[in-house]
Amino acid sequence: MTTPDQFQVHCLKKHYAKRQVLDDVVFSLQAGQTQLLSGDNGAGKTTLLRILAGLEKPDSLQIDLGTGVLNWRRVKKTLQHHALYLHQHPYMFDGTVNYNLGYAITAKLTKRERQQQIDEALEWADLQQLSYAPAKSLSGGEKQRVSLARAWLKRPSILLLDEPTSNLDQESRQRTLSLLETFKSDGTAMLLASHDPMHFPSLIDQHLHLDRGKLVRIDDQSLIESDQTHPNFRSTA
Amino acid sequence: MLESLLQPNIDDMESLTTTTLAALELLFSGNPELWEIIAISFRVSGVAILVASPPALLVAFILAYYHFPGRRLLISLNSTLLSVPAVVVGLTLFILLSRQGPLGEWKLLFTQTAMVLGQIALAFPILVAMGHSALQACDRRAWETARTLGATPLRALITIMREARFGLMAALLAAFGRIIAEVGASMMLGGNILHYTRNIPTAIALESSKGEFAQGIALGLVLLILAFTLNAFLQHFQGKGQPA
Repeated sequence: MTTPDQFQVHCLKKHYAKRQVLDDVVFSLQAGQTQLLSGDNGAGKTTLLRILAGLEKPDSLQIDLGTGVLNWRRVKKTLQHHALYLHQHPYMFDGTVNYNLGYAITAKLTKRERQQQIDEALEWADLQQLSYAPAKSLSGGEKQRVSLARAWLKRPSILLLDEPTSNLDQESRQRTLSLLETFKSDGTAMLLASHDPMHFPSLIDQHLHLDRGKLVRIDDQSLIESDQTHPNFRSTA
Repeated sequence: MLESLLQPNIDDMESLTTTTLAALELLFSGNPELWEIIAISFRVSGVAILVASPPALLVAFILAYYHFPGRRLLISLNSTLLSVPAVVVGLTLFILLSRQGPLGEWKLLFTQTAMVLGQIALAFPILVAMGHSALQACDRRAWETARTLGATPLRALITIMREARFGLMAALLAAFGRIIAEVGASMMLGGNILHYTRNIPTAIALESSKGEFAQGIALGLVLLILAFTLNAFLQHFQGKGQPA
């Protein structure tokens, strides 16, 4: 399956009960570009990410992968192949860090090739010391690194991140950011939901804001900064 | 009069001790008839669990992970089936499998296959109910993480089963414990035929009715040991499933 450079999303709608969470959302994701997605609690950020990961069914959605517009049903499989969603609190499978990383390798490889890839991922995320540690017992920052290393092994075209630095200390946040920079330089398109735009100063190319189901583009960096006055934006300085 | 009733009868006590000793002797002397009955019990119940588990756990998974119209009704129906007596399950299958019944042509009545069918019907709702609880308790992110990491639905399902393995093992053990000790369905569907369909509970019922308590107690002891072993395993698995 070829990797498109641009994913264009049209007509994205989703409602829960009587509330329209996403109302005709339109935007595009470019390879190597990172978009920050902000919005109030319950604005629909997580819903948007989960729909793009193929984990949740929208009311309507059209995605153009550069080969013409396809409807949701036809494109779901493609999205699941290209996109990878990282939970706010990453889930670790019962087993070692080694096992968790090995899970992301779906290609048929020999045992040796497989371990070699796992070792590379361990080194990439600086997890060598923890390879045989039970993944469930790791700290929040370590779990985040394991989850990013799993993503690195799968090498998705689109990385959908849900509050990747929430509840992390300064050091863990820096480590996470530097790993995300690697994804960016490798050409991965990233959509990053966060309340804290100032956590990702060098990473963000575009700022999108979800407000009452509508997506507002905030291209100007000064606007991102002025947006900090929003009650949900916390200063980390 | 009341005092005489409350006083333990020395003869009864001696009789119980003698019978229990005779039972232990039967058990440990390797009595072929007794061990054949035990083997039939384990074979029939083992096959029933093996056959019932895959579809029951699949139903449990669907009930836990998919929301569809009628789901709650299905859960309620399954819970109702949990409380149906074994003899009613036996009677229903007896009617179906008897010569005049709709499945009479299969000629399964009074065979081990009929006993297996009865035990499947008894084990199925237990496996679904306990499997459903175990899978529902499993973090939903496990399924989503598996799928987003590229696992096929089948691989993701196996992963979820692995994550919930302690709860699922408890379901298997509870279902096995239930069916190996049931007498109603086995008696009606198997017919308690020596060397063929006589299992532990039907043998206990027969020997007790004949006044042959030694073999009944010996087989009862086997069930007790089995119940203890299963419960020990159950405690072990449930303990492992608890967060540290």
